[in-house]
Amino acid sequence: MALTTTPANRKEAWGRRVLALAVVTAVGFVGLVGQLWYLQVLEGGRMHELSEKNRIRVRPVAAPRGILFDRNGLALVDNRPAFTLSLIPREMDDRNTVMARLAVLLKMPVGDLLEALERVPADSIRPVRVRRGLTLEEVTKVEERKLELPGVVVEVEPQRVYPNSTFAAHLLGYVREVSDEQMKQGRYRRGDMIGQSGLERLLDDYLRGRDGGERIEVDAMGRPVQVMRREEPDPGAQVITTIDRRVQEVAEQAMIGRAGAVVVLDPRNGDVLALTSSPAFPLDRLTGNLDRDEWLRLVKDPLTPLMNRALQGQYPPGSVFKIVVAAAGLQEGTLAPMDRIYCNGEFTLGNWTFKDWKPGGHGHMDLRSAIAHSCDVYFYQAGLKIGGDTMARYAHAFGLGMPTGIDLGGERFGLVPFSAARPRKRPLQAGETVNMSIGQGQLLVTPLQVARMMAAVANGGILWKPRLVQRVERADGSLAYSSSSKMTERAELSPVVWAFLRNALTAVVKEGTGAAARIPGLEVAGKTGTAQTIAKSDSAKGQDHAWFASFAPADDPQMVVVVFVERGGHGGDVAAPVARKIYEAFFLQKVAQVTIGESG
Amino acid sequence: MLRLDRRLLQNVDWLLLGAALFIIGLSLVCLWSLNPTRGISSLVWRQISWVGVGLIGLLVVASVDYRNLVRSAPVLYVIGLGLLTSVFVLGRTVSGARRWIHLGPFTVQPSELFKLIFIITLAWALTTGRGERSRTSLIGTFVLLGVPFLLVVRQPDLGTALCLVPVLAAILVGIGIPLKVLGGMTLAGVAVMPLGWFVLKPYQRDRLLVYLDPFRDPLGTAYNVIQAKIAIGSGQLLGKGVGGATQSRLSFLPERHTDFIFAVFAEMWGFLGCLVLIVAYVLLVMRGFEIAAGTREMRGRILALGVTTVFAAQVLINIGMVTGLLPIVGIPLPLMSYGGSSMVVSLTALGLLLSIRMRQFH
Repeated sequence: MALTTTPANRKEAWGRRVLALAVVTAVGFVGLVGQLWYLQVLEGGRMHELSEKNRIRVRPVAAPRGILFDRNGLALVDNRPAFTLSLIPREMDDRNTVMARLAVLLKMPVGDLLEALERVPADSIRPVRVRRGLTLEEVTKVEERKLELPGVVVEVEPQRVYPNSTFAAHLLGYVREVSDEQMKQGRYRRGDMIGQSGLERLLDDYLRGRDGGERIEVDAMGRPVQVMRREEPDPGAQVITTIDRRVQEVAEQAMIGRAGAVVVLDPRNGDVLALTSSPAFPLDRLTGNLDRDEWLRLVKDPLTPLMNRALQGQYPPGSVFKIVVAAAGLQEGTLAPMDRIYCNGEFTLGNWTFKDWKPGGHGHMDLRSAIAHSCDVYFYQAGLKIGGDTMARYAHAFGLGMPTGIDLGGERFGLVPFSAARPRKRPLQAGETVNMSIGQGQLLVTPLQVARMMAAVANGGILWKPRLVQRVERADGSLAYSSSSKMTERAELSPVVWAFLRNALTAVVKEGTGAAARIPGLEVAGKTGTAQTIAKSDSAKGQDHAWFASFAPADDPQMVVVVFVERGGHGGDVAAPVARKIYEAFFLQKVAQVTIGESG
Repeated sequence: MLRLDRRLLQNVDWLLLGAALFIIGLSLVCLWSLNPTRGISSLVWRQISWVGVGLIGLLVVASVDYRNLVRSAPVLYVIGLGLLTSVFVLGRTVSGARRWIHLGPFTVQPSELFKLIFIITLAWALTTGRGERSRTSLIGTFVLLGVPFLLVVRQPDLGTALCLVPVLAAILVGIGIPLKVLGGMTLAGVAVMPLGWFVLKPYQRDRLLVYLDPFRDPLGTAYNVIQAKIAIGSGQLLGKGVGGATQSRLSFLPERHTDFIFAVFAEMWGFLGCLVLIVAYVLLVMRGFEIAAGTREMRGRILALGVTTVFAAQVLINIGMVTGLLPIVGIPLPLMSYGGSSMVVSLTALGLLLSIRMRQFH
């Protein structure tokens, strides 16, 4: 095949063909310009948004929650950095795949993850915290597969750490992520950790602080390149409570294995030095991830560990109430210290026979010895003479049957029956009055009420509003809140009556039923109580509530200790030794400290 | 040899040269702006030195009569073949391909150099021998060029191989091969293509599939395409400027100073900037076609057309691939991308064009 043509022809043909090729090339360039127009002008806005999303990540910086201190500056609760698994919905293109991978990786139900994501808008850049307290191993797993898990981040968040799992559980309360219900208040953001009970809840606004945040630039691998802007978090304020950590610890230790409550107050100002309810719930298990099984176990536990018995438990006061009866009798003039009766162990009223707790009776008794030995027969008679409504009036004067006003939520009122409060104002029957005179019947009190009453006996009638928080200090040292002691009521009795009561209560420990609380070198005043309950089972043994309400030193009261042991047995045997341990810990160590201080 | 008479200098194509230098200037700014905080980085200095080497090459080639170059085609061919073979022996493997060989402190990419040799050999083969070009000589030419072509494919450097195909096609069209023959060859090529699938490496197959469906694997192979598109698109009309080009500067873009440099440029300077750059390329390419069209001598015609189409093909394929119009084949943008071999070869090729232009009126 010949490819030759004439030169002139050839030149013309060549030029045409080159022109054709140039046109083809030009078309190619026009195509490029068209594509650029499409990408940069038509789609430019969307692409620009994509590029922004590509590089800017917003990460919250969690504010450390404020720390709670005891009255001596010891921390009751602290923070430690913990790893939190968070999902950022906007950075997730294919959430189902990513969640499936994550679920396999961390052995979590994929449903939980998707459920957590569904509660927030799909383009949200705020992380959804799905799991707190990741182990180091889990963190490694996630970080290793970072590229397969877009939108999955591990945050470092300060988390509560407790001296031990149940330490001051009811008092401190637990911290958990805001619930759906709480979200409706509009005060919180999803994922916020807020106090759900106890002081954590009461002081949440102070403790929470304000989260900071940072905008970081990341590269394609999700590696941070630089922090564009960082807003430091405002740490939560510090709370100085009235609690004495040492006393609290001793009280809790003494109550191990027992159900009940211990309340320790300073009668001079109403400060709560310790407040414990037993059994307690494990704070650390409720903080962070809610373990459903654990929660169910706590809720269903017959010993109700979630209830704060110190202020939510209502129990008959038993013989502790004899203090009120004695005060009423003396102040009203119905009783005189010198009056004596003979106790044969029984008291008959019409067809009813009321027995003394001591078979055979106590023999000759005056008021002081009747208190010291807790003679029931004496008080049956005294109660009848004083009258039910008068006793009720004095009970009210001592703050029973009404809230103490403590700042913790859920406080119960207790119950002091009196005629005017009853249906159709039916007067109290004689039998009811007799029962009431030894603290039985319908009468119900909380351990905290008893403690406040004992403080009033110790300080001459002042009913304090129990104080838990001394002050709240912001991170910069400024004062956010402070509270002084508040007197709510005053029980007006003549000084002679107060003196007699204190003397008689000293006798309880010195020579009576409270001997187990006797401490050499420290005069303790107190009253035991053994409250009968409706038997829960056939076994009658151990069904009585044990009480010991006390203060010390008797001549200069600095501390009120009320011990209540639910179905514990005799107050003198079970509750009094607990109180003794607390006094020993507080006073003997204090003596030691003073000695060291002086010698140094 | 370097003796230049005044007549030659009068015919220097300043427009062509100006367009090329303008593009190189943009390239240097672009490379600098990838890391502006560090002053003029070693990257820019190295590129400047390559430009210097390239300009020397340009001057040398421009001053030499291109016909002498075509006459020495057999020697160049053998050297080229040797270099291509040596890649398999001495080559350095970079991202799965052996394309580079070490020459002292430099690494050279023989396939870049081979583009020029390919064109010169083509010009030689089509004009030498019996004055007539026959079917047998055409087949001989194919065999001659097929061997090094396959070597390039095997490296693998699919991009370089691919841009040689349009060069061959353009030259065949230019010299007036009947459309029947061209059509038959195209059909044969299409028929062989499915076989090519088996020759491709897995990552190359992935790239082709990703081209068909870019969101097949957004963090894997399609990643480059998506990030490049985002970078280009986010430049919008006026660009983000040097400081705002986050896509480029935050290493979302792979190969951002080499094959993907256009995306960096587009992000910084926007549609208008791209338009300016493309106009510069179009000027350059159209000037090349004009030189080809205006040349009377056959060897000059083939050389000019070949150099112009290899240039145009590279620009079109590179920008087409970066903007997502074509599959990713790994090909530099001439005069823009960082890289010594490409810069030196591109400038030398332009020198060839200048040389032809200067001697058009002899």
